[in-house]
Amino acid sequence: MAEHVTCQEVVELVSDYLDQALPAEEASLFEQHVNFCDGCDWYLDQMRSTVATVGRITEADVPPQTRDKLLAAFREWKRP
Amino acid sequence: MIAYKFLRADGTGAFTGFAWPPPDGGPGRWVDAPAADPCRTGIHACRVRDLPYWASRVLYEIELAGDVLEHGTKVVAPRGRLVRRIGAWDDAFRATYTRWCADRAHEIARGSGLERWREVIEPSISEGPALLGFVAARIAEAGAGTEAYYAERARQSAWLAERLELA
Repeated sequence: MAEHVTCQEVVELVSDYLDQALPAEEASLFEQHVNFCDGCDWYLDQMRSTVATVGRITEADVPPQTRDKLLAAFREWKRP
Repeated sequence: MIAYKFLRADGTGAFTGFAWPPPDGGPGRWVDAPAADPCRTGIHACRVRDLPYWASRVLYEIELAGDVLEHGTKVVAPRGRLVRRIGAWDDAFRATYTRWCADRAHEIARGSGLERWREVIEPSISEGPALLGFVAARIAEAGAGTEAYYAERARQSAWLAERLELA
């Protein structure tokens, strides 16, 4: 089968794509999909906006209670 | 090297948002990148055979300079400038090409006994030529394998090259 990326794979790969951590071949397939899929294009835009917004927040900006909740959530998080 | 570059309607790159200096009576200003590294940095463009994969709103001829890397469905260089807009690639042409891809998709599905695949064709038309090109090639692949996918992509490139008068 020719190589394709599905919408679900776009969701799974988006962080690596934005971090430029995908191998070039995979990044190219990712971009081909985003080029024709409006839904994934919007999703990528949303993720970019989120990263740009959250990236401006420092540790000191996060209230202690929120920080504790986030840390607890990350401790229990398991990759599916 | 002369290649081609699709941009958004506002003249920005689809993935970087970079605002390309447009041609203005002559080629646009040269744009330099720190390096040419596929999908990471550099001036990314496509050859005629790659056009169906990247179809978007506006199409330019772009001159690439420096060491040009060929990578899958794209080329990457450290330097480039827009030479001219391909005026024939307008909304009407995009619609015509999209319809042609849809008709091809129906034809392939009928010929391969993949009638259920036809259900996705018409609802996809509003999303434009890049999706319909993929749909037609994907149906070809479902019917006859990987070679049929690439053969359909090649057919799309040839269709575009002939009508846009690209080398």
